[in-house]
Amino acid sequence: MIEVTAVTKAFSTNTAEVRAVDEVNLEVNPGEFVLILGRSGSGKSTLLAMLAGLICPTSGTVKLRGRDIGNLPEDEIAGLRAKEIGFVFQFSGLIPTITALENVMLPTLFCPDGPGSRSRAIELLRKVGMSHREDAYPRTLSSGEMKRVAIARALINEPSILIADEPTGDLDSVTEIEIMELFKELNFDGTTIVMVTHNPDLVPYGTKTYGMNHGKLVEVFSPPCVNSAQQSSSYSSRKDAT
Amino acid sequence: MSNPPRFGLFRLITANLTNRPHRNIATILAFAIIAATLFSAQYLMSGAQQSLNTGMTRMGADILVVPAEYNAKAETVILMGEPSTFFFNDSGFEKISKITGVVKASPQIFVATLFGQACCSAAVQIIAMDPSNDFTVSPWLKENPGVTMGKDDIIVGSKITGDIGSDLLFYGHTFHIVGRLAQTGMGVDMAVFTRTEDAYVMADESGVKAVRKLTIPRGVVSAVLVKLEPGTSQTTVASEIRAKIPETRTITPNGLLSAVTSQLGAVTRLLYGSTLAVTLVSIPLLGFISAMVAHERRREVAIMRALGATKAYVVRLMLAESFSISIVGGLIGIVTAAVILVLFQDFIAFSLKIPFIIPSPMAIMYAGGTALLLSAGIGGISSLYPAILINSSEPYETIRKGES
Repeated sequence: MIEVTAVTKAFSTNTAEVRAVDEVNLEVNPGEFVLILGRSGSGKSTLLAMLAGLICPTSGTVKLRGRDIGNLPEDEIAGLRAKEIGFVFQFSGLIPTITALENVMLPTLFCPDGPGSRSRAIELLRKVGMSHREDAYPRTLSSGEMKRVAIARALINEPSILIADEPTGDLDSVTEIEIMELFKELNFDGTTIVMVTHNPDLVPYGTKTYGMNHGKLVEVFSPPCVNSAQQSSSYSSRKDAT
Repeated sequence: MSNPPRFGLFRLITANLTNRPHRNIATILAFAIIAATLFSAQYLMSGAQQSLNTGMTRMGADILVVPAEYNAKAETVILMGEPSTFFFNDSGFEKISKITGVVKASPQIFVATLFGQACCSAAVQIIAMDPSNDFTVSPWLKENPGVTMGKDDIIVGSKITGDIGSDLLFYGHTFHIVGRLAQTGMGVDMAVFTRTEDAYVMADESGVKAVRKLTIPRGVVSAVLVKLEPGTSQTTVASEIRAKIPETRTITPNGLLSAVTSQLGAVTRLLYGSTLAVTLVSIPLLGFISAMVAHERRREVAIMRALGATKAYVVRLMLAESFSISIVGGLIGIVTAAVILVLFQDFIAFSLKIPFIIPSPMAIMYAGGTALLLSAGIGGISSLYPAILINSSEPYETIRKGES
């Protein structure tokens, strides 16, 4: 689904060139839940931005369903982001002037021919446990609630891949587990997820985990046999412990 | 069960606009001032021109001959209806009728009634004419076949108080209102038309009946209205009249129009100048406000772009917001200006010494449309730079900066 080949992103500073992402290779297959672990400044968010076509690599290629997104015109990349990619930011990224339901529906404006609709937005809010707050404005929502709405928004156009940049970074541990359970559920339903985090405790949620350090990517954990039922019991026990 | 509001670009715009009420009110006010000044200038000009056209049509004259020494006074009577009494010897009247191209010449006598005296109902301009050669009131009489102008009957202008069938007293003489002319915005509205012979009787009786005697010498007129054959040059005939009767001056509709235009010129220059000044000040000011809003919303826009909005969509959104504000502001300005102009039209016309009538709906629509177009244009221009600026930033960078 996603094929990253020898991707480098370099930024020039006054004194030297900094390689935020350095010769990274990555393959994400349909149905996978890929976790990228790393400390702040390791380059994981930059890699994620390149996967979403938000920035272009300095060298190398990022292919989504076989299309090199680095060579696409800007409007096509925007179209791709609207149709194929659901993005969950570290902060909620909700538009403050519109309601939770309208925030979920926002990407439908950029993909008018897509599957997004009001009824689907209501259904998604129900799925993330936010149906009772559909008319609430973001300022009245808690961090966890905002994150749930943001996840529903990322899914409105039925993207083939969900990209999440530190989605639990600012959440307490209970809400963090709730959100991760939600991600797992979505993955269980067939959504491919690529998520970056600095929290090693979340490793069990991924079907494949990479570590990132100084722009380099290495696979650190890949369960030999991924069984959703096993994983679910693992999450539940964690949740109970919390 | 009521349907929820449809979510689309319009909802996004209204949500953004209602969320920043104070700033938007200030912006709306700026657009309102721009539209109001331009609308007022066009409205006044158009009202004056229309009034002049209606008034001249009512008078039916191509040339007005007045005594040379009362030229300015005559114009004030015609334009503003300011009561005035003046005469000149009518020995030239016959000469005018014989000039080539003249179809008809109608002499009129202007008499100002007394102000605040028991012998006069009101201070108005009495215009005495001979129905046999008149072409000011006669066409109106033809349009109203039930009305005849007999002894002591008067036809009054639109602004004269008194119902049809009631009496008015001038110099102690009782007149009977038989008709009322339509509004022209010119002096005709403040005039009372009577037959010359009744005016003579009124003058003759005034020594006994009025607090001050009125004298109308026989063989004098105040003005001669001249109707020309179609295609005849007003300028040529006017020159010939002045040459044949040296003590007179001629007034043509074009001459009156230039008098009004010059009268109105200072005001319209002021209004157009204000429009230009407000516009010139507003563009950078509104641009600055838009830039501030754009700066505040750069993260919001970056999120939209990350969610799939194209640059064109962002530009469209910002332009639409700006257009909405400018149109709302423009409409408020136009409506406010229109209400003020309608409510105080008499005061404005009197202060500016111009004839004035409410312009036709078409002219009002044109004035409103132009003002609205200018507002929308300024709105578009002032939001273009911020829209381009906000679009040129990298969404990823903006989002990351917002996180820190």
